[in-house]
Amino acid sequence: MTLPLLPTTAVGSYPKPAYLLEARRKSLRRQISKDELTELERRATREWIQIQEDLGMDILVDGEQYRGDMVAYFADEMAGFAIAGLVRSYGNRYYPKPVVVGPVGRKAPVTVEWFKYAQSLTTKPVKGMLTGPYTIAEWSFNEHYPTRRELVLELARAIHDEVVDLERAGAAFIQIDEPAIHTRPEEEFELAVEAMEIVTRGTSAYTVSHICYGDVPKIYPAMLRLAVNQLDLALKNEDFALLETFRRAPFTKDIGLGVVDAHSHRVESVEEVADGIRRTLRVIPAAQVHVSPDCGLKTRTIDETVGKLRVMVEGTRLVREELAGARERGDAVTR
Amino acid sequence: MLTTVIGNYPKIPDLPAPGKWRSAVEKFQKGQLDEPALRAVEDEVTTEAIADQVEAGIDLVTDGQIRWEDGQTHFARRLRGFSINGLQRYFDTNIYFREPVAEGAVAWTAPITVGEFTFARDHSARPVKAVITGPFTLATLSRNAHYPTFAAYVTALAGALNAELRALAGAGASVIQVDEPALCRHKGEYPLFAGAMRALLEGVTARTILCTYFGDVRDVYPQILDLPFAVIGLDFVAGHRNWEVLRSAPFTKDLQCGLLDARNTRIETTEEIVAAVRRVADLVPPERMMLAPSAGLEFLPHGVARRKLRALVEGARAAAAAAKGARA
Repeated sequence: MTLPLLPTTAVGSYPKPAYLLEARRKSLRRQISKDELTELERRATREWIQIQEDLGMDILVDGEQYRGDMVAYFADEMAGFAIAGLVRSYGNRYYPKPVVVGPVGRKAPVTVEWFKYAQSLTTKPVKGMLTGPYTIAEWSFNEHYPTRRELVLELARAIHDEVVDLERAGAAFIQIDEPAIHTRPEEEFELAVEAMEIVTRGTSAYTVSHICYGDVPKIYPAMLRLAVNQLDLALKNEDFALLETFRRAPFTKDIGLGVVDAHSHRVESVEEVADGIRRTLRVIPAAQVHVSPDCGLKTRTIDETVGKLRVMVEGTRLVREELAGARERGDAVTR
Repeated sequence: MLTTVIGNYPKIPDLPAPGKWRSAVEKFQKGQLDEPALRAVEDEVTTEAIADQVEAGIDLVTDGQIRWEDGQTHFARRLRGFSINGLQRYFDTNIYFREPVAEGAVAWTAPITVGEFTFARDHSARPVKAVITGPFTLATLSRNAHYPTFAAYVTALAGALNAELRALAGAGASVIQVDEPALCRHKGEYPLFAGAMRALLEGVTARTILCTYFGDVRDVYPQILDLPFAVIGLDFVAGHRNWEVLRSAPFTKDLQCGLLDARNTRIETTEEIVAAVRRVADLVPPERMMLAPSAGLEFLPHGVARRKLRALVEGARAAAAAAKGARA
């Protein structure tokens, strides 16, 4: 499979359509069956795959229509977890926070069936989407393991098994989300690095880790030691201020460049996106750049999401054309 | 030995109910509920948060900070000089807040928490502690786009918040807590911090608590005992080094002793609490000690927070009984 220069992709989640939100509410109250819910989750997945194809994106995601929260989803599907209850993350947003109550591990593959389903709908590559061990541990209460280290490494082994199964199922791209990785940069970054080595060990899939918020400069350039091919980062929400950080030491991996803010209602302009990419290309070579939103888009409306994805694709196209044009002009000069 | 809490408390009940506060905010955001109606719901939920504490047997309660979106913007939005920017992580938690940006001279123009305090006092069967975010933490968790130096920024915030403390004391707040978790992360700034604290407390007649959490006070102890606070709050969970710190020099103030883990669901047993209190009691007599969770309880789901409160009170009672037995 060949990708164009500056491949476009997404971080993972998309908003759920109204019919699915309603079905999830009913499912909580046991007013519809699990099968009925799954059918609607598949319908929403089909719709998002179609939208991404129509927009001309290059590496697709399944949109996580079957997930509530990125940590609780894995906790629900794995052994050793219970759900403690809802805790607040921001404003009036709450998430069901898991609690580790026993030895953690996979009971069965967690995401493979959904990956296979999404991939069956398109000839474009679909990314396998996992939550990383450090983040699962960090965003869970722990009543079982005496140390965080033991919990993180046990989770790393479980997520590694999931990577192996995804690859076997045909995933050429696998993303391991670690938005919590820089929570304790001084004390625990080495642990996060060690955990990621376990997760991706031996895989030949192209691996990505998405990291957002928190103090990215504090873990740069140390973050370049994470055992993945690409780091996907939020650039837009701080107007590409991170580029100054990347000037400090060469960005030696590929970057997933966040060009639209996942937490603002405003849909950026095509020119704004193109400008962000152009600024980046002064610091990181184009061959190393993938283009994506800052973060999962599930908190946006569907219209905002489609709008942001569209300007992302169009802005990227604009820069691709400029680069192609520059090459042609360059050729003419040398001839 | 008295019991108290650090400040915030869960705003919504456990599943499956969405909770009236959350429903009200959603409706408010959609324009289906006006502001007075939202404030009325906040009043109601505040009353319930206080009732939870009183029923558990907490001696010195707070209003649960139900009305606070977070400790930063609650003040920044009500001081002059700030705009509010993008999301930031709150220390090493999974809680996010919008970063305040000081774009002009910061100034206090009207009371921020006084109405909250008087409401809580009027709806509580137990004494109520007023809480503010301290100037050093507010400066650390916001962005200074106006003052030439961080020091000038902190000093300006200390002056502004001094007016708030005076207003609280004037409204009858006899105990006021100043939250300064950022001190544990930026001990190198201690001289600046100390100056800010002195300016902050200038002319404030209440009994004041300096509350630290998310870390220890090694390297700034025993200097913090020179600050004009009556009580120092320490976190013995995230700041487990505080055990050694406390042993390094005589503790001359009252201690707000953060012993129960406010950030984990595991409920401490009475035996564990008694043992921990005994360790502290070697250094600080029980009558100069207030027992507390290590931080605000909003990190926990509602049901767990309530169980923590009960465990806290039971532990304190058992520890007091054990101490009495030991002395007899």
